[in-house]
Amino acid sequence: MAYSFPEEVLEHVFSFIHTDKDRNAISVVCKSWYEVERWSRRRIFIGNCYAVSPGIVIRRFPELRSVALKGKPHFADFNLVPEGWGGNVYPWIAAMAMAYPMLEELRLKRMVVTDESLELISRSFKNFKVLVLSSCEGFSTDGLAAIAANCRNLRELDLRESEVDDFSGHWLTHFPDSCTSLVSLNISCLASEVSFSALERLVGRCPSLRTLRLNRAVPLDRLPNLLRRAPQLVELGTGAYSAEHRPEVFSSLAGAFANCKELKSLSGFWDVVPDYLPAVYPACSGITSLNLSYATIQSPDLIKLVTQCQNLQRLWVLDYIEDGGLDALAASCKDLQELRVFPSEPYDMEGNVALTEQGLVSVSEGCPKLHSVLYFCRQMTNAALVSIAKNRPNMTRFRLCIIEPRTRDYQTLEPLDVGFGAIVEHCKELQRLSLSGLLTDRVFEYIGTHAKKLEMLSVAFAGDGDLGLHHVLSGCESLRKLEIRDCPFGDKALLANAAKLETMRSLWMSSCSVSFGACKLLGQKMPRLNVEVMDEGGRPDSRPESCSVEKLYIYRSVAGPRSDMPRFVWTMKTLS
Amino acid sequence: MGGGAATPHSSSSSSSSSSSSSSSIDSISNNHPSLSSASSSISLPRNTKRSGLSTDLRLGPSISTAHIHNCSSSAPSPRDQRVDWPPIKPLLRSTLTGKADNQRQATNLFVKVYMEGISIGRKLDLFAHSGYDGLVTTLSHMFKTTIFCSDPHVGGADHSGNYHILTYEDKEGDWMMVGDVPWEMFLTTVKRLKITRADRC
Repeated sequence: MAYSFPEEVLEHVFSFIHTDKDRNAISVVCKSWYEVERWSRRRIFIGNCYAVSPGIVIRRFPELRSVALKGKPHFADFNLVPEGWGGNVYPWIAAMAMAYPMLEELRLKRMVVTDESLELISRSFKNFKVLVLSSCEGFSTDGLAAIAANCRNLRELDLRESEVDDFSGHWLTHFPDSCTSLVSLNISCLASEVSFSALERLVGRCPSLRTLRLNRAVPLDRLPNLLRRAPQLVELGTGAYSAEHRPEVFSSLAGAFANCKELKSLSGFWDVVPDYLPAVYPACSGITSLNLSYATIQSPDLIKLVTQCQNLQRLWVLDYIEDGGLDALAASCKDLQELRVFPSEPYDMEGNVALTEQGLVSVSEGCPKLHSVLYFCRQMTNAALVSIAKNRPNMTRFRLCIIEPRTRDYQTLEPLDVGFGAIVEHCKELQRLSLSGLLTDRVFEYIGTHAKKLEMLSVAFAGDGDLGLHHVLSGCESLRKLEIRDCPFGDKALLANAAKLETMRSLWMSSCSVSFGACKLLGQKMPRLNVEVMDEGGRPDSRPESCSVEKLYIYRSVAGPRSDMPRFVWTMKTLS
Repeated sequence: MGGGAATPHSSSSSSSSSSSSSSSIDSISNNHPSLSSASSSISLPRNTKRSGLSTDLRLGPSISTAHIHNCSSSAPSPRDQRVDWPPIKPLLRSTLTGKADNQRQATNLFVKVYMEGISIGRKLDLFAHSGYDGLVTTLSHMFKTTIFCSDPHVGGADHSGNYHILTYEDKEGDWMMVGDVPWEMFLTTVKRLKITRADRC
């Protein structure tokens, strides 16, 4: 006798289950649960747009309202993926236009989005609410005009870090007067001036607006008017933060900030004039997130600002903050969870700022909740890394970039194996790790032995040979994404761990020592992997099989080899 | 660590790794001559500003040749600036190196050019021209027609029959006739060009 709830009851129970992991888990319990789950799923995240096809998704989940897609590999952010590689979202939009007329949300990352795609989105989904384009490219302000004009219920338009063909700021005027639904607007990546009066009217008529990230072209003297129209703002990105010092502009600005009692997040701050920073002080006690990545101001001004923000949880800043500033941060901001320090002069080999490993050690000592770090610096020691590891066993994301590749511990002249080894040994919840400095195979042995929760690993200019890669692939049980550049890793480790690759989302290897022959073998052995070789120098099979391939991207897929590869990408399934 | 020898780090005695490493590391250093060996082996006290001391102590070919000549100047020349290292995102990279989004690249300014009635456009580098004269001449050749702008000293001689007017879209989204403002000012405000039929203006 089968005891089973009626479908309606199951559906009701499932409506309380939201995360992808949980939804995936309940879908494999039995056939009837699979069926109920797939009809009731509303939200999906596809980490690699080529892992599955639009048709497969639509067949399984007929009632989606929210879709998130990622396209290019992460190293595309650093210009390692040539133009034309792929990740065009249009086929997805075209298929979803037919299948999901009630689609509300689209979140795309590292995808190519054309104006045609944007126009199709704006025409196809009557209830479209959220468009987030993160690090996307391929569209212009013409496409944005279509979104503004046609999406009557638009709540979020977020263009974070996308590359937009920016003809003019005119597109903003396409928001009709009847549009009052905006909750979030992020245009910080755009270069052109938008019409300020149109922007003010738009901000003024959207009472639910909580996020407004302006672009650099919005001058400081326009900011008070905007803030006065939106005192309920929670997240603000300023435009250029500079003006001639005029007392009336300052007091107007300070008053406007004081009036925004809900502000929690600040960003923008291009071209900062330090004299105007105190205008922000009234808001500082509520600030939990501060992004000063574009603020080219010196340590004393940074310290004054940061030490006002006692409730700070996230700080992104340039290395102008220096060790002294990080000491002050460690003393004032006891709630700090995430720190990112970017290099103010990324190409200057020596560096003129007094930011060393000591700054990071201070913060790791003083901030008990610190668990996420991205740190660019020019020197490091094993001792410092060991301290950091012991101070912060709760670390979950640790990305260190020592700017000169293969830099040694400057005190002992040894490789940094022991330091990173301490990180993975003490930080048992570590999910993401990026390595740098001089590293031998030993560090990979430590990683394979200890980093059991590690999901993403980034490696550059490290290791001695295949053993390093073998340690990682055989030891890191939770590994999903592995990206490697300029390391002497070759065929043996890859072929010996072929099965592991099916348990991961993707593997990227560039400027390594993987031969074309090994790639072919892998492609033949593993039908559920797409093994793609990138070579801008010509067909890889026009050279001996032992030649190393330039770039290799391997990912699991249920959709088979993709059909949109450019001339410099070869799949190991069609070449025999 | 000794003097300015150009030895790759793999052969240094302080490395404890296995001996089989050197050949694979050498092959990689061939790919990246500017990054082929270990960087500073300088022992510095903490918090020392490094600029004054390290130019004297800098050893080995870990920096590109051009940088050795530029040691005392502020920034390396653009040729030395790799776009794939260090790993920072494009927007941050362009802001920090001064080639910000709202500034033009020092060497090119490519804009799209459409002729009315033809759906496929062309692209043109405005920085390759020194004034309206050169621009109109180039466009006349590209689109095989006589082109006029508002500057009376520029453009083809009177022709009966087909001729076109050159217009541009400015930063505010308005379409204007080319030639009214000084060339340098035009360059800061032009977004794209359109060649329209004369009877429309």
